[in-house]
Amino acid sequence: MYDVVIVGGGIVGVSLAYRLAEEGAGRVLLLEKGYLGGGSTFRCAGGIRASFTSREHIVLMKRSIELWGELREKLGVKYERSGYLWLISRERDVERFKEYSRVHNSFGVETRFVDEDFVKRVAPYVDTSSMVAALYDPLAGKASPFDAVYKQFLAARSLGVEFAVGREVDSVRVERGEARGVVVGNELIPARSVVVAAGAESVFLLRRSGVELPLAPVPHHAALTEEFGRLFDPLIIDVETGAYAVQTFHGHVLMGVEVEEEPFARPVVKLEFLEKVVSTWSKWLTWLPGANILRYWVGYYEVTPDHHPILGPVDGVENLYVATGFSGHGFMMAPVVAEELAEWIKSGKPKSEEAARLTLARFKEGRLIKELAVIG
Amino acid sequence: MKAYVCMCERVTVEDVEKAIEMGFTDLESLKRFLRVGMGPCQGRYCVPILLSILSRRLGVPPEKLGYVSVRPPVEPAPASLFLKVRKDV
Repeated sequence: MYDVVIVGGGIVGVSLAYRLAEEGAGRVLLLEKGYLGGGSTFRCAGGIRASFTSREHIVLMKRSIELWGELREKLGVKYERSGYLWLISRERDVERFKEYSRVHNSFGVETRFVDEDFVKRVAPYVDTSSMVAALYDPLAGKASPFDAVYKQFLAARSLGVEFAVGREVDSVRVERGEARGVVVGNELIPARSVVVAAGAESVFLLRRSGVELPLAPVPHHAALTEEFGRLFDPLIIDVETGAYAVQTFHGHVLMGVEVEEEPFARPVVKLEFLEKVVSTWSKWLTWLPGANILRYWVGYYEVTPDHHPILGPVDGVENLYVATGFSGHGFMMAPVVAEELAEWIKSGKPKSEEAARLTLARFKEGRLIKELAVIG
Repeated sequence: MKAYVCMCERVTVEDVEKAIEMGFTDLESLKRFLRVGMGPCQGRYCVPILLSILSRRLGVPPEKLGYVSVRPPVEPAPASLFLKVRKDV
């Protein structure tokens, strides 16, 4: 009998496994059907920020950022507070971002408008000729998804967590309103608590166990250039389109921009995306047309109706927890999600009231949470 | 003397063997843990070598080990190329 079985070996599952191991939470097993990080985690940009507009996002992300710092100290995870920079090229966007900044500041997230000289210092290879304003978030940053998954996996394993990679969970066994374990093939793996952290797959997996999640996987596209020396430190956002670009620790520039996609659409590559992402970023990165595109891939945002995750216990099913629906913000939130879930499993309550408001029950009870700052 | 598996990312046979011993025994994880195949050659030269080392170490024929995902544009392509895409096609 396991104390905790985690379904899903992305950043959320692996972070939770590490957290539980550190807290001595007993026998823990993590099951991953493909390879660790192989879902949304390794397709993400690695950006980390607390500059949102909802209390839940801001408070939890601030704590997550502290925990990212601890991961760097303890495990040497590649993580840097290199900032986020919103590049504004239209006057009409300035007021909106002033308002966002006021919200951030009221929660102690010190975003501020910066001048051209500042932009040139932190982002020497960004062309500012079409810039009318820029908002900078010094608390934000980035981490390497590979490094974060692998270092926490190795640490968790050395602390005794068992990993079953390449094993697909068919369903969660629910009997008399209680989760008893997970079913893999014909085998029941019994557990005191089951956590489903399977990203977009969570919706299909839990449906087979009679639990419906209001969750829609939406394809998002990202492309990567060849590697360069230092170009820009912060993750940059083109406010006009919501496109982002970040220089990875390895030196590549990773870029994304929204193209029209239907929920549940198959993740397929589109020439249209490459055209849009290159033309959008050529405005700020004037050298981009001469650079080489190395790779292009598609991943999922698992989107909920209010763009906030579904966290914690499932009403009506004892011992079953979920952590999914991060709507594109799962990587950055993973450390705090691990902390909150570990506490929830141990004591029946999360650490913070903000986490408590993110349970699945909010959709039934009509307590949706508003978040404005969702980017492509 | 070092024997390189991946010239772009400078990964040696020794690195690969060590990673396999650490438990990275599938191609996708080996690729990402070591960055084999993530340089400009896009895995063209190194992934087959990686596959053959893994196959010998596990005693599993290479065709049973699958292959890594191949991402477009397959070869590094100048970004300017994509600005010329005709949208009405």
